Amino acid sequence: MDASYLDLLMAQQEEITEEAAGGGGVWVVADVVNGSIAPVTLEGIGAARTLADSLGAYVYGVLLGAGGADLAQTLYQAGADGVRVADDAGLSEFALEPYLHVLADLFEAEQPEVVILAATQQGQELAPRLAQRMGGGLIEHVTAVTLDEATRTVQGAVPIYGGQYFEILACPEARPQFLTIEPGTFPAPFVDSYRKGEPTLLDVEPATPAVRVIGPAEDFEPPPVPLKQAPVIVAAGRQVGGEAGFALVQQLATALGGRVAGDRGARDAGWIEAGQVVDVRGVEVAPEVYVAAGIRGDTFHNAAIEEAGFILAIHPDPHAPIFESADLGLEAEPQDVLPALLEALGD
Amino acid sequence: MRIIVILGRVLDPSGIVVKGSAGRIFVNREEYLIQPADACALEAALRIKDGMAAEVVALPRSPLPDDDILRQAIARGADRAIYLTGPALKAADEAAMTGVLTAAIERLGGADLVLIGSTTLDTGQGQLGLRLAEALGGAQITGAWQVSSADGQVQAVLQRNGRYVAVEADPPVVVTLLPGALKLRYPDGVRLINVYRGVGEVGDALEAWDAADLVDEAALTPLVESRGKEFAPERERGVRASGTPAEMAQAAADALRQRMRR
Ligand SMILES: Cc1cc2nc3c(=O)[nH]c(=O)nc-3n(C[C@H](O)[C@H](O)[C@H](O)COP(=O)(O)OP(=O)(O)OC[C@H]3O[C@@H](n4cnc5c(N)ncnc54)[C@H](O)[C@@H]3O)c2cc1C
Ligand SMILES: Nc1ncnc2c1ncn2[C@@H]1O[C@H](COP(=O)(O)O)[C@@H](O)[C@H]1O
Repeated sequence: MDASYLDLLMAQQEEITEEAAGGGGVWVVADVVNGSIAPVTLEGIGAARTLADSLGAYVYGVLLGAGGADLAQTLYQAGADGVRVADDAGLSEFALEPYLHVLADLFEAEQPEVVILAATQQGQELAPRLAQRMGGGLIEHVTAVTLDEATRTVQGAVPIYGGQYFEILACPEARPQFLTIEPGTFPAPFVDSYRKGEPTLLDVEPATPAVRVIGPAEDFEPPPVPLKQAPVIVAAGRQVGGEAGFALVQQLATALGGRVAGDRGARDAGWIEAGQVVDVRGVEVAPEVYVAAGIRGDTFHNAAIEEAGFILAIHPDPHAPIFESADLGLEAEPQDVLPALLEALGD
Repeated sequence: MRIIVILGRVLDPSGIVVKGSAGRIFVNREEYLIQPADACALEAALRIKDGMAAEVVALPRSPLPDDDILRQAIARGADRAIYLTGPALKAADEAAMTGVLTAAIERLGGADLVLIGSTTLDTGQGQLGLRLAEALGGAQITGAWQVSSADGQVQAVLQRNGRYVAVEADPPVVVTLLPGALKLRYPDGVRLINVYRGVGEVGDALEAWDAADLVDEAALTPLVESRGKEFAPERERGVRASGTPAEMAQAAADALRQRMRR
């Protein structure tokens, strides 16, 4: 074997060593789910890397937890230049005060320029507290970022009315600039398995959570979501394929965590109640996702789903008007595609 | 127990049409709603007051051009409402409002419980309540379905890791309510008329305070500024999948999965 090949390989093992920091930097607070770094955190590192390269700054990851210090390498591989680890039994699960204590001390010392958190339970609880404590600005639910290089200001796109349009927001004066980023909206970064580094361990002073869990809320039943506000609706029509087809609609609704509805045909067939009829003379809906299975789609029905974010239509008749409203149309018998769709979603 | 409820208003989205191709928003019907999640916060406050001695005071979440939603809150059972005004307040963002509200709450004699919506319908921001928790030095309970108070403590029901759990904290506590958690009661007819006429029991329940008397003008400078709007490309409708039923099902599954990740 040619030894120079080995040398080359060794040279590629990039050992990340931090320069003396001296403040600033783009920081990412990691979310850990089931013992792994959450994808949104890697997306955050990717966004941070892009910003930091334009700013001429370093990317730092912060990892809080109990016994998961080896996860730090995942952050290096995604593009972090430095990683801080707070490893303590009191941090095993997210609780506000213990996490806040560690992060506030860290950021007070490091004075980050930008801090990125995930728009998850953890990030959304921490970010406003940190921003308020440090006099920082905060933009929540960011789905894209650009940089105003002259003033080193991050500009974040924020969905308005659930994404009907986006407002571009910036915090030109306040530092740090805190952002929470929406999971799944930034590209996953290139994972360079040759990158590795030596994380810095942080001292952890214990802090007690202010909110105590009493126990499961046994008797609690959440109020039913009105059809009008349901985020996912699976609706059946005359051509759904009889009882068997309607049963598939119910299964799909369960699989998608959605509500069952239908058109007048489905009501006439006795599958749904009057309150489940989607029609401008019945209920007008605005879900994120609307699936119309076997619905031909007359004017009254199609007008009632105008505000839906994404419409999937399944109907055997290629001339069914529903296809004009749909974002994706499947010309097929519902009972032919629904089982395959359920299976494909199950993977 | 003093309960502060923070209320905002939002342009009814069913009255607007967003046209990406024209790059603008058309307002066909200009009508405002109480922010849906804030409405749940108000109902939660009124339910606590139904069961124990409590004073409910409503404050605005952002600068308001009129005091309608505050009068509505009084008509529904709030004891007092403070309309915050002043030219310097006009541009206030969440950080600036935190300062004003903290000063207002202090002037009211403090709060045991602050209730506010977990998110706004339009901008989706949820930072005001938690900034307030920080400024007041209190605990925070986020995304509650229910709130109650017993034994001098605040209890709430929330969902964590797919389960409903009961939690508890010592006052002062900020609790954010989920939109749709509770159905806001209707206003009382007599209170509604009287609060607009300024007579009867609710005659002086609404006060107007000048923000300049509460905080320095410098504290009202917003940290966040808008740098314009962006519109997603117009939707292309009428796209059809091709292939066998199995292939079509796969295309549909991919599209649904991508959509539901957001
Ligand atoms: C309080 C208030 C605040 C507003 N704030 C903003 C804002 O911040 N940003 C913003 O972009 N807009 C805002 N608007 C909306 C905007 O001012 C009006 O919608 C606009 O003036 C429409 O009139 P126009 O005659 O200029 O359009 P036109 O020149 O008549 O129309 C331009 C194009 O839009 C289409 N169009 C016109 N009207 C409608 C409609 N009602 N529905 C669908 N399509 C239509 C037309 O077909 C045409 O293609 C606001 C409106 C109000 C009442
Ligand atoms: N129809 C609308 N839809 C959504 N946002 C709006 C609308 N009208 C005004 N706004 C927002 O409200 C803020 C103040 O608007 P204005 O006072 O009309 O300039 C701006 O940030 C606008 O983006």
